[in-house]
Amino acid sequence: MIKKFIHQFASPKTYLHQVSRFYKYIFYLSIATYILSLVWGLFFTPEDFIQGNSYRIIYLHVPASFLSQSLYIAMAISSITYLIWRVKLAAYLIIAIAPIGAMTTFIALISGSIWGIPTWGTWWQWDARITSTLILFIMYLGLISLHNSFSNYERADKLLSWLVIVGAVNIPIIKKSVDWWSTLHQSASITLTDKPTIDPVMLYPLIGSIIGFFGLIICLVLLSSKYQILHREKNKSWVKDYV
Amino acid sequence: MFNFAFNSLYEALYMNGHGLYVWSVVILVFTSLLGFFIGYTKKIKKIKDKLNEPN
Repeated sequence: MIKKFIHQFASPKTYLHQVSRFYKYIFYLSIATYILSLVWGLFFTPEDFIQGNSYRIIYLHVPASFLSQSLYIAMAISSITYLIWRVKLAAYLIIAIAPIGAMTTFIALISGSIWGIPTWGTWWQWDARITSTLILFIMYLGLISLHNSFSNYERADKLLSWLVIVGAVNIPIIKKSVDWWSTLHQSASITLTDKPTIDPVMLYPLIGSIIGFFGLIICLVLLSSKYQILHREKNKSWVKDYV
Repeated sequence: MFNFAFNSLYEALYMNGHGLYVWSVVILVFTSLLGFFIGYTKKIKKIKDKLNEPN
C-alpha cells in the first residue's frame, strides 16, 4: 500500500506539474522573508556586547550551516526511499540536492572563516566543528564527481544512495562536535528542548532569515530536480508534451 | 525592537570596522544564490529548447 501511494504521488510527471504550480509562490514568499529578516538583523538589532557588529554575520552563517546539514539529511532520506521502494524521483532528488548542499556548506565555511577573523583572531582552526563541516563539503563534491563519472545512471544512483547513507554518520558528529570536544564554537543557542540562550531581539530576525533561506533553497532544489527530470526522462513522450 | 542601530548610513556600512566582514559575507551569499538560480534557469531553458527542436 505504501509502495502504491509513493509511486502514485512521486511520479516525475506529477512532481513536475506540482513544481510548476507552487514554485512562484514559494519563491516570492521566501525572498521577501529573507530580505526583510536580513534588513531587520543587519540594521535594526543592537550591537553585541562582546563581538560588536561582526555578530551580524550570524544572519547569513547560521541559515547556511543549518541548510548544509538539512540537505544532507534530505539526501539520506531520498537514498533510503530509492533503495527500498525504487522510486526514480528519489534518485533524481539525491543528485539534484548535492550541488546545492555543496554551495550552502561552502557559504557556511567561508562565512565562518570571515567571522573568525574579528572574533577569534584567526580565519581557520582545525577544531571538530570546522573540520567535520569541511568533510561534509568534500563529501558533497565527491558524490557529485562520482555520479558524473558514470555513464550508467542506474548504477550511479544505487552506489550514490549507499554512499550517502554511510556518509550520514557525519551529520550527528557535526551537530554534537561542540558538546563532545573542546572547540572554538559555542554550544547551540537554539535547541528543540531548551529555551534559546539568544536574546529575542536578535532571535526573531535569525528565525526569519533561516525560514527565508530555507525557502530559497527549496526553490533551488525544485529547479535542480526539474532539470534532472527533464534530462533523465527526455526520451519519454510525456516530457515532450510537457515542454 | 525596530530602532535603527546606527546614527548614519555611513556608520551602518562601516559598522565600527566590522563592515568589511559583514558585507563580504552578504555579497558571498547573494552571488552564490543568484549564480545558482541563473545557472539552473539557463540549463532548464537549454534542455527545453533542445527538446523542442524538430527532429
